[in-house]
Amino acid sequence: MWKLIILLTAAIILAAIFFVPPVRGLGELAKIIFFHVPTAWVSVVGFFTSAFFAAKFLRAGEMKFDELSARAARLGFIFVLLATASGAVFSKLTWGAYWNWDPRQTTIFVLILIYGAYLTLRAAVSDEKARAKVSAVYSLLSVLTVPFLVFILPRMYFSLHPTPVINSAGRLEMDAEILAVLLAAVLDATLIFWRLMKEKN
Amino acid sequence: MKLSSFLQAAAIFRKDFLVGLRRRAAFAAMAMFALTTIASLSLALGGAFVEPKLLAALLWVVIFFAASAGISGTFEDEAAAGTLSTLKLYAARQAILFGKMFFTLASLGALTIFLLPVFLILFDAEIARLGIFSATVLLGLVGISAAGTLTAALTVSASAKGGLFPILLFPVTLPIFLPAISLTEAAFTGAEFSAEFLAAMIFYDAILVTAASILFDFLD
Repeated sequence: MWKLIILLTAAIILAAIFFVPPVRGLGELAKIIFFHVPTAWVSVVGFFTSAFFAAKFLRAGEMKFDELSARAARLGFIFVLLATASGAVFSKLTWGAYWNWDPRQTTIFVLILIYGAYLTLRAAVSDEKARAKVSAVYSLLSVLTVPFLVFILPRMYFSLHPTPVINSAGRLEMDAEILAVLLAAVLDATLIFWRLMKEKN
Repeated sequence: MKLSSFLQAAAIFRKDFLVGLRRRAAFAAMAMFALTTIASLSLALGGAFVEPKLLAALLWVVIFFAASAGISGTFEDEAAAGTLSTLKLYAARQAILFGKMFFTLASLGALTIFLLPVFLILFDAEIARLGIFSATVLLGLVGISAAGTLTAALTVSASAKGGLFPILLFPVTLPIFLPAISLTEAAFTGAEFSAEFLAAMIFYDAILVTAASILFDFLD
């Protein structure tokens, strides 16, 4: 599995450097999306994976689900930091400031806060059973903020962020080559996440 | 004799109210915390004009942290006194949750009634639309009470509670604060407000109360 991931990653890096043409208006800068979009995607996947295993733990009471939920959150936390940092760099280069509370920056910041709160809660409870229960409950509680962050927040604040690949207009505003490499990069990041989830302790 | 859940919740509310009156510590801490925060902000600004938007944000920051200081011990005090397990033995789980939630809401309501005049006087502010202002504050407090009561139950067995409680509560209540701040700003300036924000707050409050009720059953 690792071999495949390494090959795919190397292919994506090469494609991003040599194969993808510079984007009009943004030039080589836009290539940061091959890192930014996949990491952002995995940070969201990790969040829902953590909540999914939290729900499984509460239903079945098996400690392995708690372990998986915690692992998804730890991985998600790393990915959300990478996505935020790469986004901030791109923001500085194109909008002129690292941070301006764009709706998407707000959303990802809340995600950092939730991950951080969840991991702090885990660190603060020493009893294993109690820790599993309270962190599962918190994980599910924090999922409730998602509809708000996704549907309501963008209506409240004006956004400069490019629309997602799959947007409400149902239109693809991206060259086929860029899209292909981007999808490969998203797949690659997802595979890395999946492989790390299966890692033995 | 088994009381109905509603009566049980009412009894827990009454018990907490009496204990709160007798041991004023939690409420005094909350009120003094609010007073200290408002005073430090007002002193630092030295009577300078504060934009309504900033004023609205400051008000909610004060409410959030004062509430955190006051309600984090909702279950912990009971656990420390050794009465939590007895309470769980006698009352239905949902009755405990809702009794505590209503008591939290009542304490936060009292806190707000105390801090608002101080806030308005020290910042020389006026409320142009009292109706929308009251509705916003009430909806905000309902959400903080629902999320806060569940969060307080989560932190009973945790160490480093003082810092942990606001960390856990903030992301979950953020969907309340953003519309609340916009509505409060409109209430200060008298400008048109968006009914969408009010609807969003009502909707999110309902979600929080339901979720607290469902998730509380999984804790022991």
